[in-house]
Amino acid sequence: MNGEEVFTELPWFYTGLAAYMLATLLAVYGVVRARSGPAGAAVTRTYESAVLLLITAGVLLLTISLAVRWLRIGHGPFVNLFELLISQLFSLGLVYAIAYWRLPVIRPTAVVVMPVLLLMGAWVLMIEPVDSAYPPTYYNKWLWAHVGFGKFFLAFCLVGAGLAGIILMRGIQRLAPFFRSLPPDKVLDHLAWRFMILALIFDSLMLIAGAVWAQDAWGRYWAWDALETSSFLNWLFIGAALHARLTYRIPIRVGALAIIGIFVFAFFTYFGTPFVSEAAHKGVI
Amino acid sequence: MRKCLRFLASTKFTLLGMGLLAVGAALSYDNPVDTPVWVLVVPMAILAVNLLAAIVSNARINRRGGLLVFHISLLGIVILAAIGRLTHMVAHIEMVDGDTFAIEELQNVRRGPWHSGELEKVIFIQGPYTVDYAPGMVRGPTRSQVLVPDGQGGWERRVVGDDKPLILEGYRFYTTFNKGFAAVLTWMPDGAMPVTGTVHMPSYPLFDFRQTNRWTPPDGDEIRFWLQLETGLTPDEAWTLDPRQAEGTLVVKVGEHRVELAPGEAVRLPGGALRYERLSSWMGYKLFYDPTLQWLFIVAVVGVLGLSAHFWNKYATHPWPQASSALDKELEVANAGGGKSL
Ligand code: HEM
Repeated sequence: MNGEEVFTELPWFYTGLAAYMLATLLAVYGVVRARSGPAGAAVTRTYESAVLLLITAGVLLLTISLAVRWLRIGHGPFVNLFELLISQLFSLGLVYAIAYWRLPVIRPTAVVVMPVLLLMGAWVLMIEPVDSAYPPTYYNKWLWAHVGFGKFFLAFCLVGAGLAGIILMRGIQRLAPFFRSLPPDKVLDHLAWRFMILALIFDSLMLIAGAVWAQDAWGRYWAWDALETSSFLNWLFIGAALHARLTYRIPIRVGALAIIGIFVFAFFTYFGTPFVSEAAHKGVI
Repeated sequence: MRKCLRFLASTKFTLLGMGLLAVGAALSYDNPVDTPVWVLVVPMAILAVNLLAAIVSNARINRRGGLLVFHISLLGIVILAAIGRLTHMVAHIEMVDGDTFAIEELQNVRRGPWHSGELEKVIFIQGPYTVDYAPGMVRGPTRSQVLVPDGQGGWERRVVGDDKPLILEGYRFYTTFNKGFAAVLTWMPDGAMPVTGTVHMPSYPLFDFRQTNRWTPPDGDEIRFWLQLETGLTPDEAWTLDPRQAEGTLVVKVGEHRVELAPGEAVRLPGGALRYERLSSWMGYKLFYDPTLQWLFIVAVVGVLGLSAHFWNKYATHPWPQASSALDKELEVANAGGGKSL
C-alpha cells in the first residue's frame, strides 16, 4: 500500500462520513425540537428534508470513494474489513435513504440508525487502509448475488432495529415526549416486523447464493464454517422470533429487544466472525 | 390419530426444535468434524416430524399457498440434504502431467452408504498447469489443462481451476492450492524389467524449502530424493508458477552415497540402476459428488418465492403506513391555527 495513492479515495470517504455526521446531528436536533408542541412537528418535517439531502450526499461521496479505490486497486470492496465497512456504509446509507424518502413515518428512526453508521465510520478511521489482494475465487458471479442480497438483509435489519429502538426509547418516560408525533407502538411494531420479514427473505437468498458460491469456490456448499454457522443462526433467530410471535403473545417491547438482538448478531456475523475466526471463510484463501 | 397429529404439529415443538437446532449449530461452529452429527440430526428430525404433522393438519399452513410452498421446501431441503449425505463422495487425488485418471489413485475417500455414481466412466488426462502469484506470494488464478473425450473418438482440451471445476458424470474435480513437482524415474532392477513411475514432491511453493521424498525399491535400500528447483520464484514481485518453464536437479542419496542427476542421467545403486527421466508436475484435486445439488438449489429458490408470495398477499391488504397520523393531526391543528405551513 502506498500512502499517497490511498489519499485519492480517503478525502471522499471523510467528506461522506462528515455528511452522515451532519445528518445525525440534524436528525437528533429535529427530534428534540419535536418535543415542543405542534410547531415543533412542522420543524421536524423541515429538517427531515435536510437530513435526507445529507444522507444522500453521504451516499454519493462514499460511492465516489469506493469507485476511486476500485479503479486504483482493480477490484471491488469485498475483501478486507476496511473495504467491507465502507461498502456497508454506502449500501446501508443508500437503502436507508430510500426508506427514509418513501416512508416518512420511519424518519425519526434516524436518531437510532445514523449513530450506528457513525460508529462504523469511526471504526473505519481506526483501521489501516491497506490494499487487498483479490482471491481467485472472487471472480465468481455468485459473489455479486451473495453480497447484494446480504446488503439488503442487513439494511432491512437496520431499519427494523431503528423502529425497535424508538419503541424501547418510548418506554423510558423522559424520552417518550420526543417521539410523541409517531404512531402508536403497535403500528411501529407491525412495521418493524415487516422489515424483519424482508430481512428474512433476503437472508434466505443470501444463504442460497452463498452456498452456490461456496460449492464453486471450495467444492462444498455447506461446511458449518464460522461465518456459515453464524449466518445460519441469524436466519434461524428471525424464523424463531416470527414463530414465537405467532405462538405466544409476545409483549411489544420484548419483540423490539429481539429485533435489536437479531441486528446485533447480524452485525457481528458481518464484521466480527470473518476477522476473528481462523476458518476458511476468511476471504483470502 | 387426529389428536396425536395435532400434538405433533404444535408450534411449541417448532420453537423447541429451532432452539435445539441453534444449540447443535453452535456446537458445530467451525469444528464440524469433531462434533457428533446427531446434535444436528436430532433437532432436524424433530422439526421434520413437527413440520410434516403441521402441513397435514394445520389449515393455517396448508390453506395458504405461499406459506405451504415455503414450509414444504424447508422439509424438502432437510430431506435432500440427508439424501446428499447418504449418496455423496469426497476424495483427493494428485494427478501428474500426462496421467489418465485412475480410481485407485484416490486418497482420503469418504462416501455415503448409498453412493452409486458411475466413477468408472470418468476419463480425463491431466495436462500442464500455471498458477499466478501477486507480489507477496498471494495466490492468483490457477489454470489447469485437461483432456476429456470429445465423444467422437478424439480429445477436447479444457482449462479448469479455482471456482471452475471439471465436471464428468456428475463428479466435480476442483483444483486445490496443493500442487507441485514430480520426478519421473525409471528403476532398472538387475535381471528384471524396468519400471517407470513418479515421485511426488511436497506442495510448491508452500514447501519450497523441503522438496524431498523417499522410496525403497523391492529388494533394495531406501533412496532419499531432494529436488533442487529453478522456478524463477520472486516473492516480492508478480510471478507465474509454470512447471514447464522450471528446471530441476535431482539429488539422490542412498546411505552416505550422494549424486546429483540432471534429466536423462542415471546412477547405479544397490540392486539396480535409477534413471531420472524428466521433471514433471502434479495438480491436487478435490473430488466432490452429490446428486442432490441442483435439486437443493431449485427447492430452496422455490421456497423463497413461496415465502415472498405469502407476504405479498398478506400485506397487499395492509398498505405501508405512509405518514404518521398523529403527526398529520398535529400539523392540521398547527396549520389551522396559522402555524407554519410545510
Ligand atoms: C419446522 C417446523 C415448522 C413448523 C411446524 C412451522 C409451522 C408454521 C405454521 C403453523 C405457520 C402459520 C402460523 C400462523 O399463521 O398462525 C407458520 C408460519 C411461518 N413460518 Fe413456520 N414452521 C416451521 C418452521 C419454520 C422455519 C424453520 C421458518 C424459517 C426460518 C419458518 C418461518 C415461518 C414464517 C416466516 C411464517 C409466516 C409468519 C407470518 O405470516 O407472519 N417456519 N409456520
